[in-house]
Amino acid sequence: MMLWRQFAMEWRLYRRDRVAMFWTFAFPVVLLLGFGTIFRDGGGPKLSVVRVQAPAPGPQDTALDQALTDVQLKVQALPKPEAEARWARGETAAQLETDGAGYRLRLNSYLMAQAGATAGLVNQAWLMAQARLNGSPEPQRIPVSVESPGHKHSANYAAFLLPGLLGLNLVSMGLFSVGMVNVSYREKGKFRRLAVTPLPKWIFLLGQVLHRLTVTVIQAAILLLVGRLVFGIENQGSFVDLFLIMTLGTGCFMAFGFALSGFADTSEGYAAISNLVFFPLMLLSGVYFTLDSAPAWLQHAVALAPLAPFLRALRAVFNDGGSLVGHGTGLAIVAAWGLAAFALAVRRFRWA
Amino acid sequence: MAELALHVRGLRKQYPKTLAVDGVDLEVPRGEVFGLLGPNGAGKTTTLEIIEGLTEADGGDIEILGLTWANQGQEIRARIGVQLQSTSLFNKITPREALDLYGSYYPKRRSTSELLDLVQLQEKADAYHITLSGGQQQRLALALALVNDPELVFLDEPTTGLDPQARRSLWDVVRRMKAEGRTVILTTHYMDEAEALCDRLAIMDHGQVIATGTPASLIADLAIPSVVELTFEGDAPDPVAFAARLGQAVERRADLWEIPTPDPKALLPRLLEAAESAAVPFQQVHVRRATLEDVFLHRTGRSLRE
Repeated sequence: MMLWRQFAMEWRLYRRDRVAMFWTFAFPVVLLLGFGTIFRDGGGPKLSVVRVQAPAPGPQDTALDQALTDVQLKVQALPKPEAEARWARGETAAQLETDGAGYRLRLNSYLMAQAGATAGLVNQAWLMAQARLNGSPEPQRIPVSVESPGHKHSANYAAFLLPGLLGLNLVSMGLFSVGMVNVSYREKGKFRRLAVTPLPKWIFLLGQVLHRLTVTVIQAAILLLVGRLVFGIENQGSFVDLFLIMTLGTGCFMAFGFALSGFADTSEGYAAISNLVFFPLMLLSGVYFTLDSAPAWLQHAVALAPLAPFLRALRAVFNDGGSLVGHGTGLAIVAAWGLAAFALAVRRFRWA
Repeated sequence: MAELALHVRGLRKQYPKTLAVDGVDLEVPRGEVFGLLGPNGAGKTTTLEIIEGLTEADGGDIEILGLTWANQGQEIRARIGVQLQSTSLFNKITPREALDLYGSYYPKRRSTSELLDLVQLQEKADAYHITLSGGQQQRLALALALVNDPELVFLDEPTTGLDPQARRSLWDVVRRMKAEGRTVILTTHYMDEAEALCDRLAIMDHGQVIATGTPASLIADLAIPSVVELTFEGDAPDPVAFAARLGQAVERRADLWEIPTPDPKALLPRLLEAAESAAVPFQQVHVRRATLEDVFLHRTGRSLRE
């Protein structure tokens, strides 16, 4: 009863702050629309190469240009001065130009992920072009397919972005907005009056967690709806499973935020602490790069962190239509972190 | 002696640079309006916040309604009402919602509309907290302190920043609390407020209680029931020479001289004669009875407002 009142009041006050509420819901949608539009067609971001136009193109140049298109590279042919200007602006990942009888490929050290992949394709195209010019048999290419860990193909790369966006949004809300709001309210003395009432801390905190949980569910629903209407992205799994994972993840990362807020006295301090937790969590989650080359102890430690199992389960359900059965251990890890964080939050929570 | 609503012994609080509370003892019987009077920084608020359970003491014992914080905290919270020096609520909560919400935290509660009536906030019952005036916010804070029908009410500077009319109506609310049998403990740096409201007082300075008693007994203890004041236009001149001539202590404060005396009738003719012959350029003469201000001045050598 007390919990319900607390929860209902949180919602009522939240609804009155229209600007904050609007952006909470609009922000992930804006992100989805942005990324979705950029990566709309094809299987992922398309690689491009800037081709400096030869003063007098010969048959070799024509053959290479054809081959570049054949290996699915986007070729941007520019005169030398414009190509150099573009390079100087840092917009070019790879630039191909004639060098004596051959060619030279220049890669942008700031954009190595794209540039490296582009270099591979350019060399492949060059082998192809040479074979065609010599009349020898074309080199065989190994067929490549893009699929998810659950063997789903999708023509729409945005479909793979959506669960990542859902997860990331929820983590950042938990770690940044919720904890930050708490610290700033405490700084302004908004909790002091509560401290002299018999309201238990855990009810106050749980009321906030439940409020945020419902906010996230609505947020996710909006995101799914927009994804479906605008980009035709469908949830491949069951909505019940999706709801369960989202609930678990929200609870876990909200509790993280509340727990961290107990360690900061000021908003500035909180910003530092939350970044300290957020970045290792992100970078070591295995979401951005694999940790195959990391020392074994680090790999073991990272396996116990909550972000990776959460995102893995989320993607498995959403993109691959998998069930939660195979993710029991991972979800147990997330739940354990959530409970531990909540206990710590209650323990560290201060009204003033 | 009646049962004590509050019993404090040897309370101490050390902040990094100051000893905020330095061995405070208080005994407040049930049903009394008790005041902590003192200048800003005397340790009144810290003392109160320790008693309310907001701040931890470094030493001393506190018994509230016969209960201690050690293991009866929830029961104490349920039975006391607190108005903090500044009550910061959520900007967009309304008085009605705040009273409903805070009421829901307690096993025993008073009705919201009754409380709104008591502090005359019916008209503003559904306005956002941030849109209320300072006085209205203060009244809401007072209503919140009464939401659980408390036996013991703490009011920290309840009238600071209020206009005279708002102060009067707040005094009426405090008197009503006493009539209802509640114990009220309040802090103030207004001596008139302390005199008008409090059954008994503790005067605090530098973290210590320097005098305790009823307002009347504190003034009577001074043995100088009256003060003659000479007012000047602009700053008062140095009174040292005149004091020597008069054979009586003369205090200078801003635009006046104060001459405390047990017998103003005998002093006045002498005073006027001396002033005449020394050509003291005073404007007016007042005789007033001694106040708590004089008690404080006498005990500390400083004014309450300094």
